Amino acid sequence: MSHTAKPTALKMGIPIPNSKLGLWLFLGTEIMFFTAFIGSYIVLRLGSKGWPTDTHDTHINVFLGGLNTFVLIVSSYLVVVAHEAMAHKKFARARTYLLGTLILAFLFLGIKSIEYYGKISNDILPGHIAETSSQAVKKASRELEVVVRDRFAEYTSSGAVPTDRPNDIVNLVNQIAILPTVAKKPEGVSEGTFAALKESAPIDAELFKQWMILHQHIVANVSLKVPAIGPEYLAARAELKEGEKLPELEYAEVTSLLTKMKADKTYGDYVTKGVFEPHPVVYGNIFASTYFLMTGFHAIHVVVGMILFWLVLRQGSKLDEKWTDFVENSGLYWHFVDLVWIFLFPMLYII
Amino acid sequence: MSHDAHASQVAHSDDHAHETHHVNYLAIFIVLCVCTALSVIFDVVHMSKPITIVLVMAVAITKALCVMMFFMHLKFEGNWKFVLLAPTTILAIGLPLALFPDIGASYYTPTAPQVTIWAEEVSDYAKYHTEHVDAAAHVEPGHVEPAHVE
Repeated sequence: MSHTAKPTALKMGIPIPNSKLGLWLFLGTEIMFFTAFIGSYIVLRLGSKGWPTDTHDTHINVFLGGLNTFVLIVSSYLVVVAHEAMAHKKFARARTYLLGTLILAFLFLGIKSIEYYGKISNDILPGHIAETSSQAVKKASRELEVVVRDRFAEYTSSGAVPTDRPNDIVNLVNQIAILPTVAKKPEGVSEGTFAALKESAPIDAELFKQWMILHQHIVANVSLKVPAIGPEYLAARAELKEGEKLPELEYAEVTSLLTKMKADKTYGDYVTKGVFEPHPVVYGNIFASTYFLMTGFHAIHVVVGMILFWLVLRQGSKLDEKWTDFVENSGLYWHFVDLVWIFLFPMLYII
Repeated sequence: MSHDAHASQVAHSDDHAHETHHVNYLAIFIVLCVCTALSVIFDVVHMSKPITIVLVMAVAITKALCVMMFFMHLKFEGNWKFVLLAPTTILAIGLPLALFPDIGASYYTPTAPQVTIWAEEVSDYAKYHTEHVDAAAHVEPGHVEPAHVE
């Protein structure tokens, strides 16, 4: 029986499955990925005195953010008990827990969509936000111009006002203003459309006039109380003594003009739909950029996690111990997604 | 015998891979929920900003540690976790510190539009854009220039 004992095979590496080691290495790169965003956010925020924190400015919803934190924590708990059930070979129970996780992931994205809608409906988007009063005034004027152009497009696209220059709204307004007096209907326009446009023409001409008044006062930078063009304006300037100047356009004047326009019974609805509240938010654009970058990439990670859980769930009753490592690794990934949110929630919603 | 020992070692290694630890996950879950509630309470209760930041970040770090130690089982993993996570953690802390002097402290100049006030801005506009004022004055009433030509 004497024989030379064979040396035992060397066990290289670390005592975890290769897939788990791979996943942890991947998570190491993920930490760097999110740190780049979170670190940049911290740096930009510390360097921008007056960063917007008022929820009236940012349209951040702390309740929804807190609710989503809770949803992710519950889902993380379900993943960990799903892995425990897999280790104990209770596969049906594991499937139930993972289904719960998947449903909660959908819920998270649903709540996130409501939050995003709150921002989009208030034009809290990168590059869209006025940061000073004058930018707010000019933005409102541009939006009002788009409303006017959309209204005028009704006349040109239907053929009620024939033109080869449909974007030249300054000349179009004269044709639209006289439309009610036009007896002959152009060819190709239905009777009903022509009658409706004849009726709305004075309203749209008035809407154009109001926008043009605002536009001229912005260009001349004079108060809405004084004329901004023509002989009256020149006469008012001529009367000025050395060092005097006409009263300047004020932000409050513009907001009250827009409020009046939105309340108008004829064109008020168009203005309400097309012109956002002119509300300057200092550093609003960089805030929106960082907010959407971080929460957007986090949401993409949530979607990837959902795909991983779906791959397990589609096994149905065939789910067995071969999937235990997969469930553990998916769980580790999901906990990381939860971890990122644990830091994003206080940084974006509370501080 | 040695073969048996080897088989036993492999079996042990496999056991280790799917080893379950007796962690009360429900208790960890409750701690996480309480911490989330605390974060919201710190937001609602009026405190000085630095205190709020310290409290809220302390809660976030507590939650992160709970998730990493128990849900991600790092408490029970070998020393490889330090080898794997230390470099990325050092770089993660180093990045904001490295960026701060260049970007954080001097990203916006004092003359950036974000830091000028309305009154100064308007008077500057009038001062440097007199050509617009004059152009507006020469437009006849009823015949206005388009805002921009498409």
